[in-house]
Amino acid sequence: MTHEDDRSLAEALAEARRAGRTCALATIVATRGSTPRKVGARMLVDPAVGLVGTVGGGCGEAEVIESARRVIETGAAERVRVDLTEDFTTWSPAVCGGVMDVFVERVSDPSLAQSASPGEPEA
Amino acid sequence: MTALGAAQAAELLIRTAETGGTAAAVTLVGGPATARLGARLVRVRDGSGDRRVGALGSEPLDRAALACLDDAIGDPRAQDGIRTIHVTGVEPSTSEPYELYLELRRPLRELVVVGAGHIAQPMAHLGALLGYRVLVLDDRPDFATRERFPDAHRLVRTDFSDPFAAVTLHERSYLLLVTRGHKYDYECLVRALRTDPPPAYVGMIGSRRRVRATYVQLLEEGFGQEDLARIHAPVGLDIGAETPEEIAVAVAAQLVLLDRGGSGSSLRDVERVAERFFSSDAHEPEADRDDTQ
Repeated sequence: MTHEDDRSLAEALAEARRAGRTCALATIVATRGSTPRKVGARMLVDPAVGLVGTVGGGCGEAEVIESARRVIETGAAERVRVDLTEDFTTWSPAVCGGVMDVFVERVSDPSLAQSASPGEPEA
Repeated sequence: MTALGAAQAAELLIRTAETGGTAAAVTLVGGPATARLGARLVRVRDGSGDRRVGALGSEPLDRAALACLDDAIGDPRAQDGIRTIHVTGVEPSTSEPYELYLELRRPLRELVVVGAGHIAQPMAHLGALLGYRVLVLDDRPDFATRERFPDAHRLVRTDFSDPFAAVTLHERSYLLLVTRGHKYDYECLVRALRTDPPPAYVGMIGSRRRVRATYVQLLEEGFGQEDLARIHAPVGLDIGAETPEEIAVAVAAQLVLLDRGGSGSSLRDVERVAERFFSSDAHEPEADRDDTQ
């Protein structure tokens, strides 16, 4: 992610947090083969706003969105393996040829909504 | 220890990179059933030292994760991604490894142009074009203006007796000294050479004669040959630049060359395509050696 990507995602996260909305954050944590987006790409699923960012679009993203709904509901983080290696003759959009691992977690969880300490200095 | 949310962690990484520090974060994304998935631990390294923010759930796990974070910060080739670690001494004991998603943010690459004169203007444009955050410093408020530097990230009014008072120089700072007076360039140079960690690039404009005079002064001041070797002066690549715009191109080309590691020669002379493949005495073995691109 570029610094600008980082920034727009952080702003979306902060806004959801201020508004007290529970969202899901999806992060590509590993990829193999050819994938539309690389490790570090993020998407925020905010029920009030929709999607901020993308983890690649198409079928793969649909799986991630489905997972996000579950995660928002239950609070239990998930690891979704998105397989884009389907046979291209099926005309599926999932023909990039790669596999990606997406970590989906609940964020701006009210139970986590306490301010971070400035950190503990170390010797 | 307080839990660190995704929003605060993201904010912390951004703020650290923007202020010249390095930060690395791990998020627990896999491990034994008891692992608190989504827990975060961040290592921040900046001017005020090292600190940690957040926690993963147990002290042995945090210790192992911190070692991982410090390794990544110390490794210039480290990439974001999964780190798998085995931790002992965690209850209930398990042989299952923990999976951490690591993100590393280094200081943003900054082009610091000191002196807001004729060369600074095209330099700021080219710097922004190449993806640098551009800072322009001058002691004259009517020179470092938004109208003259529309794509500079920051315009800093400074006093040349303490030129970098409001700017943090770091290992990703590219410093170009183009002030109106050689005296000022010298003051800035002395400060830049004493900066630790040293900036990635220190360039100073000047003719051979003026550069030589500056070096004499630096040696008298107690600097050594190795300090002089760090200075790019006269600045830029030898492309025959004369106008401010051309000089800025010569400097920009030098920045790209240092970054990417080219030879600085014409690619035609490096590749010799015409001679190798099409001259009358070109022979097969040479032709077969084909592309290095």
